[in-house]
Amino acid sequence: MTKTTTGAMGTQARVFEPSPAQPAPVTSTGAYAWLRENLFSGWLNSLVTIGVVALLMTLLPPLFNWLFFDANLSGSTQADCTGDGACWVFIKVWLQPLLYGSYPTESLWRVNLSLVLLFGTLASPFWLPKHLRNKVDIAMLLALPFIAIIILDGRLLGLDYVATDYWGGFALNLFLAAASIILGMPLGFLWALGRRSQMPMARSICVILIEFFRGTPVLALFFMGSVMLPLFFPEGTNVDKLLRVWIVLTLFMAGYMAEVYRGGFAAIPQGQYEAADALGLSFWQTTLLVILPQVIKVSMPNILATAVMLFKNTTFLMIIGIFEVLSTAQNALTNSNWLGGFSTEAYLFVAVVYWVCCFSMSSVAAHIERKLDTSHRS
Amino acid sequence: MLKKLTTAAAVLSMGIAASAQAGTLDDVKERGMLSCGVSTGLAGFSQKDEKGNWSGMDVDVCKAVAAAVLGDANKVQYKPLTAKERFTALQSGEVDMLSRNTTWTLTRDASLGLNFAGVNYYDGQGFMVSKNLGVKSALELDGAAVCIHAGTTTELNLADYFRANGMKYTAITFDTSDQTRAGFESGRCDVLTSDQSQLYAIRIGLKNPSNAVVLPEVISKEPLGPVVRQGDDAWFNVVKWSLTAMIEAEYLGLDSSNADKMVKTGSPEQQRLLGVEGDSGEKLGIGQKWAYNIVKQVGSYGESFERNVGKGSPLQISRGQNAQWNKGGLMYSNPIR
Amino acid sequence: MTNASSSTKGQGSAPAFYNNPHIRAVFYQILLVAALGYFLLTIIGNTLANMEARGIKTGFDFLTTTAGFDILMSLIPYDASYTYLDTFYVGLLNTVLVSAIGIVLATIVGFIMGVAYFSPNWLIRKASVVYVETFRNIPLLLQVFFWYFAVLAALPNARNSLNLGDAFFLNIRGLYLPKPLEEPGAMVVYVAMAVAVVGTWFFVRYAKKKQDLEGTQLPTFRISLAILLGLPILATLVMGVPFHLEYPELKGFNFRGGITIIPELMALAIALTIYTGAFIAEAVRAGIQSVPKGQTEAARSIGLKDSKIMKLIIVPQAMRVIVPLLNSEYQSLVKNSTLATAIGYPDLFTVFVGTSLNQTGQAIEIVFMTIAVYFAVNMTISFCMNWFNRRVALVERK
Repeated sequence: MTKTTTGAMGTQARVFEPSPAQPAPVTSTGAYAWLRENLFSGWLNSLVTIGVVALLMTLLPPLFNWLFFDANLSGSTQADCTGDGACWVFIKVWLQPLLYGSYPTESLWRVNLSLVLLFGTLASPFWLPKHLRNKVDIAMLLALPFIAIIILDGRLLGLDYVATDYWGGFALNLFLAAASIILGMPLGFLWALGRRSQMPMARSICVILIEFFRGTPVLALFFMGSVMLPLFFPEGTNVDKLLRVWIVLTLFMAGYMAEVYRGGFAAIPQGQYEAADALGLSFWQTTLLVILPQVIKVSMPNILATAVMLFKNTTFLMIIGIFEVLSTAQNALTNSNWLGGFSTEAYLFVAVVYWVCCFSMSSVAAHIERKLDTSHRS
Repeated sequence: MLKKLTTAAAVLSMGIAASAQAGTLDDVKERGMLSCGVSTGLAGFSQKDEKGNWSGMDVDVCKAVAAAVLGDANKVQYKPLTAKERFTALQSGEVDMLSRNTTWTLTRDASLGLNFAGVNYYDGQGFMVSKNLGVKSALELDGAAVCIHAGTTTELNLADYFRANGMKYTAITFDTSDQTRAGFESGRCDVLTSDQSQLYAIRIGLKNPSNAVVLPEVISKEPLGPVVRQGDDAWFNVVKWSLTAMIEAEYLGLDSSNADKMVKTGSPEQQRLLGVEGDSGEKLGIGQKWAYNIVKQVGSYGESFERNVGKGSPLQISRGQNAQWNKGGLMYSNPIR
Repeated sequence: MTNASSSTKGQGSAPAFYNNPHIRAVFYQILLVAALGYFLLTIIGNTLANMEARGIKTGFDFLTTTAGFDILMSLIPYDASYTYLDTFYVGLLNTVLVSAIGIVLATIVGFIMGVAYFSPNWLIRKASVVYVETFRNIPLLLQVFFWYFAVLAALPNARNSLNLGDAFFLNIRGLYLPKPLEEPGAMVVYVAMAVAVVGTWFFVRYAKKKQDLEGTQLPTFRISLAILLGLPILATLVMGVPFHLEYPELKGFNFRGGITIIPELMALAIALTIYTGAFIAEAVRAGIQSVPKGQTEAARSIGLKDSKIMKLIIVPQAMRVIVPLLNSEYQSLVKNSTLATAIGYPDLFTVFVGTSLNQTGQAIEIVFMTIAVYFAVNMTISFCMNWFNRRVALVERK
């Protein structure tokens, strides 16, 4: 469109004015376009879309009915579960054992305190002032399992003594996993160093250790911890079952971590060693101050993936009779007042709790991976 | 200060403990706590409720011993053990006694360094089938699929029985009774086999219990009882007579509700058991009121039975072989005098 | 400074012997070995003393005694009158079977779901993400329970089996298939199969050589397929079909005859497939993403078709990232197959560490035999995958 304007000199100039843009065709904007592009871009795609939607339509309504609409939530005994749906009463009644085992109710604050300490320490990089981080973090982390044991055990603090037989539930899964990961990481680093060492004996011992703990099914390791380890101690000595399991899990974690670190070591350029040598740093200074931080940084996603694996593996403890969350659930299922077959509810509950924890850890791992990814791909 | 340091070392070494093997009785008294190995979860025998309290027939034996030795049935530390680790735990001193539905066999008694201190439940392996199968006897089970609640002798007994009768079967072994029940209910197998006491527990858990029948055949003898280490006779006697006192109490008509009354008005036999007369406690090296404590705090054998597996429980098991000897059962207590 | 004469001059002398790194290394190692030796000796001494005190026999004598219990599924002849050594073999074969099935299926599922991440369809992309994130983050033990106690337990009973042409039956007791039984002349068919495999191998080599020399491409895939299928079929027809099928039939309580795939095997194989498949999908996704986009663009610009780009450009480069990851996933699948013990699938762990250990009490011998087996299986996998990895790596031309 043009407009005629009269200039100051009386001359007329035709000024070009673009016509307003047409709205984009309906087919290429908004929801319609999104649908077209992502769901119905071809006949095959459309078919797949329709199939998936139909599948969801048939599966979801009965599932939701069972999970929510027909479910029973009020009451406190098996008899209160009258509807066709899930019996969440079962979970409600057994919630405390599932989470805390049979730890005495009046002392539960000790478990909670330990959990707060655990998560506080894990989150410490976010709230500690920067100059303290390196020094305090590691010390706090390494001391944490022992502090937690002192709090939970209670004798040293003058609190009521709670024997390890009463520890249990999901908190035990968390503690065992955390304690094994915390101690397994430095031990694994030591083994990884040994594997790189020039000393043939040290190297072969470390290789044997790493391969043994990586190559053996974790279930077999647990069996060794529960049935064979007691034979290894001098007669008349007995070692707490939980401690035996902790030892086994720590060694297992160390084996896997050593392998993770090996990948990390490979990513450190030779120049780093040479630069450290040039500065006159000793072997341990080089290793701990120059190499270790970089190795940890590079292998962080793998470290977290291994930690998630170990955390999931703590459910296997059920098979050797430790009252972690899954075996607490099984125990509840064999209780003579709850013999109605609530296994679906019990297992679903454990699965959801686990999923939330593992998914958050996996997400953190993916986040770190993206953050560390400095390559120029895509 | 020194004491604190010692405790610190004890806590940090978290239960690496050397236990003197010589005198379990003295150890228990000194500790003020009985360490008792139980099953990780077996309906009616040892089960943990949602508050973390243990109950059951096997648990009651632990309680009786604690009541006899320490005067308090609650001073028990329960150690849940799997079938594989139970004997190791007893031998290494991790537990003072084992009360974990363990069958008394010659091999175990003679070669494992263990002593069985009596029988607290006469069990036997049995079968349960679905009613609409129309099977009346175990001898009609040729070709059946059998769900097994894994025990240690269960598989062997089953194989022996089918072989002896020239029948074939498919064995599907499950780890826990809940899984066995689920397998049976879904129709994975035609028959379920387990110790009879557990058959009833499994049957209760079915959606429709009246649909399943327990067959009359009992194919094995399973006398279950508490176990102690060999070579510690004082402790062996305490456990043996604690169990006996429960059975004797029922025979004499004593229970937790009338114990206090009978101390004053009971017959000489009753009074002797309750420690009014005689010196039975002194001979065993425990307090004079040991049996009174058992009866008062735990109850007689009959009470324990009805409360845990009998009429007072969902399992509804009848006394059968476990009735007193004068009522057609096998429970016979040696005289306490 | 390093020669002997200068060392006598005091200044700049050679380091004292205890500062010599070589001597130090030897010293440290002697210390390490001594400590380890002492540790091992103590443990062995304790163990022997403990076992003697508890009346536990040592040695492998128990292997020759009669086991006395039955096993649900066996690939070799077995009944209760066989020995403990036979239970070991039965368990071993069952472990290998479920691992092999799991590895094959997990690879297929993993590749499909990994590639689905790049699908143009939004639902499929999301399905891939949901699949990976769900099954990767739930403990495998729970998944095994889920498939066995929730899904497979919902199948109908024997009388109401799902029936496909009176030949295939699916019910709670398992999947029943017809079993081919040999007649005289079957040998010829087997020979034809072997010839077909060898022939295909030679043909592929010939085709590759031809392409390298002359640049002409033969339709390798179609011709190979024709040889592989055609030759055995031809042999079968010529010999007048030397097989007949044994159909499963409902007799008494159960189906008899045919091949039975027990639900325990199905549940475990499905669980292992779905769980490991999620990890493999993740590996495949990472592998494909590791190939720079420039590669695709360059391939397009020289006019390659999309299917060719995938086959010739993307996959070979992605494989270098995928194969090492696959190796460790396969190994963990084999180790995870021990969860069979939770649902009673008679693998090595259930049969040998479970029932046999319960009966004999020979914990140390049995656990070590079992660990040795898992080591051997995983070594084999590792060896094969490393060999494969070297082959894949050769695709890169320098």
